[in-house]
Amino acid sequence: MDNSTQESHPRPENVVTFDSPYQIYAMAISAANRRRIAVGSFIEELNNRVDILSFSEDSSSLNSIPSLSFDHPYPPTKLLFHPSPSAPRNLLASSGDFLRLWEIKDASIDPVSTLNNSKSSEYSAPLTSFDWNEAEPRRIGTSSIDTTCTIWDIEKGVVETQLIAHDKEVYDIAWGEAGVFASVSADGSVRIFDLRDKEHSTIIYESPTPDTPLLRLAWNKQDLRYMATTLMDSNKIVILDIRSPTMPVAELERHNASVNAIAWAPQSCRHICSAGDDGQALLWELPTVAGPNGIDPMSMYSAGAEVNQLQWSAAQPDWIAIAFGNKMQMLKV
Amino acid sequence: MDTGNQSQKGVLENLRKQLALAVRSIQWSYAIFWSISAKQPGALEWGCGYYNGDIKTRKTVQAVDVNADQMGLQRSDQLRELYESLSLGETSPQPKRPTAALSPEDLTDAEWYFLVCMSFVFNIGQGLPGQTLTRNETVWLRNAHRADTKVFSRSLLAKSASIQTVVCFPHLGGVIELGTTELVSEDLNLIQHIKTSFLGSPSAVVPKIPDDGSNGTSDNNDICEVLDHANVPEDNLDQLLDCQEMDVCSPDNSSDDFPENLLRDESHLVDGVDGEAPPMQNRQFKNDSMSNNSMNSSDCVSQTYGNPETSIRPSDGKAADSHTHGLQKFNQQKNDSSGFQGNDIHYQVVLSSLLKSSHQLVLGPYCRNRNRESSFLNWKDRLVSSRVPQTATPQRLLKKVLFEVARMHENCRLESGKQNSKKDDVSRPDADEIDRNHVLSERKRREKLNERFMILGSLVPSGGKVDKVSILDHTIEYLKELERKVEELESTRQSKPHDAVERTSDNYGPNKNKRKACETDKMAAESKRARLRDSSTDSITVSIADKDVLIEMRCSWRECVLLEVMEAVTKLHLDSQTVQSSNIDGILSVSIKAKCKGLKGASAGLIRQALQKVIRK
Repeated sequence: MDNSTQESHPRPENVVTFDSPYQIYAMAISAANRRRIAVGSFIEELNNRVDILSFSEDSSSLNSIPSLSFDHPYPPTKLLFHPSPSAPRNLLASSGDFLRLWEIKDASIDPVSTLNNSKSSEYSAPLTSFDWNEAEPRRIGTSSIDTTCTIWDIEKGVVETQLIAHDKEVYDIAWGEAGVFASVSADGSVRIFDLRDKEHSTIIYESPTPDTPLLRLAWNKQDLRYMATTLMDSNKIVILDIRSPTMPVAELERHNASVNAIAWAPQSCRHICSAGDDGQALLWELPTVAGPNGIDPMSMYSAGAEVNQLQWSAAQPDWIAIAFGNKMQMLKV
Repeated sequence: MDTGNQSQKGVLENLRKQLALAVRSIQWSYAIFWSISAKQPGALEWGCGYYNGDIKTRKTVQAVDVNADQMGLQRSDQLRELYESLSLGETSPQPKRPTAALSPEDLTDAEWYFLVCMSFVFNIGQGLPGQTLTRNETVWLRNAHRADTKVFSRSLLAKSASIQTVVCFPHLGGVIELGTTELVSEDLNLIQHIKTSFLGSPSAVVPKIPDDGSNGTSDNNDICEVLDHANVPEDNLDQLLDCQEMDVCSPDNSSDDFPENLLRDESHLVDGVDGEAPPMQNRQFKNDSMSNNSMNSSDCVSQTYGNPETSIRPSDGKAADSHTHGLQKFNQQKNDSSGFQGNDIHYQVVLSSLLKSSHQLVLGPYCRNRNRESSFLNWKDRLVSSRVPQTATPQRLLKKVLFEVARMHENCRLESGKQNSKKDDVSRPDADEIDRNHVLSERKRREKLNERFMILGSLVPSGGKVDKVSILDHTIEYLKELERKVEELESTRQSKPHDAVERTSDNYGPNKNKRKACETDKMAAESKRARLRDSSTDSITVSIADKDVLIEMRCSWRECVLLEVMEAVTKLHLDSQTVQSSNIDGILSVSIKAKCKGLKGASAGLIRQALQKVIRK
């Protein structure tokens, strides 16, 4: 990282880097074993890999565990571990063409199931993202380019429900409560769905210029009123309050380039981290009252290349994981 | 327990008198005794107090001249009553209060401050009294009204009351707090004087409070403790003064400070080591921050060491006024710069709330220490000039993930369907083979559709848009337009003999449809653009009467067209009986009379179609 001489370099033990042979996109931090981080490659070919890394704070190291690595067809669009630390099986889920579950054993990772919603006459569209319901861990919601969201019961391996969520491709999905999820789409809207009332959804935000796709969504698990979303080709992070639809609570506009990933703090209700093409990861604190010039971030980190992925897990609340290029870094908060 | 209470009350009453005397003698504004709460173990709450500050209105029952003592005590009583009625008033309806009682508007700011103090409760190590008790030392705070709320939680209150100096020292198991509206420089002799003169024993035996700091992370535990309470309401951080009784959210003073603001003075701090430090300080040192930008700290709080056995050591006279001296390395430095430091300390609180852990956060870049500091730089310290060069495609990888990965999968399916090879690692049942075939045919269908749309798009003037909806829209418009044109042309060409163009030979259906069908044909013929012929020259008239078929045709002549026409007619199971043809000016006119062979004859429409095909070749 070449910074100018004025910028103080972060101390080596605060930034732990992993160099991967290939570009990385998907990442997940394990709840059961907080030292385990799964990284998925992004190679535009069939053969992709998911590696499990072992993170050690004391020795400031991130090493791949060779035995816990598996092939994945085409890049995984998202990876998530089972959200409960005490789950009976150490599961990892990946999305791509289908939702796949993998079990992490001591010396290997075995595929558990491939959740394929296609009936014999249809094919199921590839998944852009998914979310694992923390309150109800047997539920996973997936979002797809065929405008639908599918809710799976992974214990039974069946579809609970499939909803046509939007008019265009759905790009991200996030659970709020056990039966409530939200999704964002190329049609530019954020909609909330309640599984108890599948007929109706609530639009809580629409992008100001019509049909600007919303690419990412994050629901604040500490304060379920708040959500954050990002738009395509935009450096803004829009903070929404579900109680006041259509009007964003705040727009965080301090990135110098488009925002790629957002993550709420796992243990604080008013902090959020974002990363973008400007190579920066910004930590924000949302004030109760915003100043006239907008909200400034609390602090920042410069990675030196476009940061594509950001993960902030409750398992490791003092570390933020980012991915840029072929590298993955753990940053101390 | 009555006797206990009574004796307690007696003690308090006594103490109050002592405080009254003390504060009057030094002419300070108030004295408060914080006692250990019976309800909350270890917490400090209001014990008794004496107010000696400015008074706005006097409300006395009798207009009797009472001496200063009496008035003062009375005033304090009245304030206490007011407080109690106010706090009661929240839970129960206001009891009727005597007219001579004070009401809020009668109070000066300082009195109001005094009154609000009655509501405060300090947990272990919390606030100025809490810290005093924990450390068992005198704490002298100058510029209290400008102090950081983490240090002195009532600083805003103090500001409104213009209380500038606050001193706390431990006494009788609690903490005595004295405050004044003047800025008084630290003078421990004063405290000593008060203790000896008014409060009794010269060497106040302060009971040893069990030291939470027995382990190194105690202070952070305090933070955790405090903040765990405080974190429950989400905006607690900002609303310190709103609640009457609440856990004041302030981390222990020894909270660590943000590294990036550790600047110049650090070196001073490191250098000036005072070897005299008693062991207690070492513990503190471990936990203390290495201080921060103490530029503005003419207002530091210095702590001296309340060693019970010995008399209070006179502090370094300069300590109060200057910042970094050796002794102060072991002192807490409280910085209250008007915003700059506030951020850091605030950040500390924030971090603590973020982490809820006992992590030692920061000790500063100058301090070679194993402990972790944040990877993040303070936003305010960023280099504004640094700019990352703009990438060609924003959000390139994200877009690829969302848009192209799906395509990759679809292509894969297509190919795997064709090659029938195992491309997927997960073995699949045969049903997937069927799926693949269906996928394949589905895809072909889609491709055909797309192709047709493309063609339609190229035929129809569409202004550049290529999406299906627009293409269809434009086609509709174009059709309507052409219909109109045709109608126009029809009306102008009525006299001409080419009416045959209009006539369709189809005996079925109303004329209107026929007209339209013909026009559609014509337009389709036009849109093909392959033919250069003028449509008015082409005509086919087919009349069927029973088994007799009369075909009259007109078209542009080309080689073998007649032959082809005859072939077509034969194919239609029509037995040609009479054929008349003429070629005038390149226009072929054919008239055929034929009979339907077989039982089922071709319909006029079929015949027409077949002949049209021939013509259009």
